[in-house]
Amino acid sequence: MSGDTQATTAVGQAVAAGCGAPAGGAPVSSAGNQAIVQGKVTKDGAAVPVGYARLLNADGEFVAEVPLGDDGGFRFFAAPGDWTLRVLAPGGISADLGVSAATGEISEFEVAV
Amino acid sequence: MSRSDVLVDADWVEANRDDPGVVLVEVDEDTSAYDKGHIRGAIKIDWKSDLQDPVRRDFVDRAGFEALLSERGISNDDTVILYGGNNNWFAAYAYWYFKLYGHQNVKLLDGGRKKWELDSRELVTEVPQRAATTYKAQEQDSSIRAFRDEVVAAIGNKNLIDVRSPDEFAGRLLAPAHLPQEQAQRGGHVPTARNVPWSKAAEDDGTFKSDDALRELYSGAGVDFGTDTIAYCRIGERSAHTWFVMHELLGQANVKNYDGSWTEYGSLVGVPIELGDGS
Repeated sequence: MSGDTQATTAVGQAVAAGCGAPAGGAPVSSAGNQAIVQGKVTKDGAAVPVGYARLLNADGEFVAEVPLGDDGGFRFFAAPGDWTLRVLAPGGISADLGVSAATGEISEFEVAV
Repeated sequence: MSRSDVLVDADWVEANRDDPGVVLVEVDEDTSAYDKGHIRGAIKIDWKSDLQDPVRRDFVDRAGFEALLSERGISNDDTVILYGGNNNWFAAYAYWYFKLYGHQNVKLLDGGRKKWELDSRELVTEVPQRAATTYKAQEQDSSIRAFRDEVVAAIGNKNLIDVRSPDEFAGRLLAPAHLPQEQAQRGGHVPTARNVPWSKAAEDDGTFKSDDALRELYSGAGVDFGTDTIAYCRIGERSAHTWFVMHELLGQANVKNYDGSWTEYGSLVGVPIELGDGS
């Protein structure tokens, strides 16, 4: 992945030049003051490398989307509270999972489709 | 203007991509996606390194745009088909940018890279070679680009459409939730702006909603179709998506994209800011 959107060694120092969504989500080394929702998408136990993870807010409104990483990974920088993860993958696959986020924590989820 | 003048679908791309007058261009901020696989025949444009001035916060100038398109082998008469990731944000931005410099025949691939991938269509890694051209650009079309003073003057007078997510609009988030939350500027929105997130204009697969659904979306949010409009987001690419919807799909006159957007407005000294979810 190229540079500026994910030039991150510790959360909170990141300066994003653009708005692009890096595949798998921007990397982090610790939660810092962020409320991170991350995880992997799997199918029959194997990573799903082609697909998209969307974050919806408590009203069901779209908030963000990232392409899945090569390992099926995704990461969002949310606000504290309840969210819905929606996974889209080839073959018409769509799966929703309710998640919650808290400041200073990395909340980890596996979505099996 | 009809949809077919500004949008193509995947079948059209597969049927026409070998036409020498058609140039497929993938536009992204992170061009590693192109490097891993792209639509056969597509060249790439990097949103940052190709389209932004390397020093000042501004676009490459007219001569720079001419040099870029000449080097990439794009002619003035070519039909340019743009697509990209992020639901075509950066492709829509490039579309607006091509129009800004006067390129006539440019269209978006509806659904962009996402729909192409979700439909399991072919992606290749071979990079096509195109002979250089001598491209001539026009002066920037100021009728589609807004600057900060126009935005301040538009408060209470024109449609201001904030196309960011509701949480960014309210000031609860400072950046899209796929990025770390920056602390460099104030949160909130321009007073009197209506929050119509770009995502409401698109289906889950990234394709644009129908004209009727789009009209209902904006009128339902209080946008007056009889008034001039300025759209903004954080850095101007999501609002280019909305500019495309308002100006190109719905045929609204006098729609501008404020590419300075919230990273500029939210850092200005002394301008009014409103917090909360709005009315």
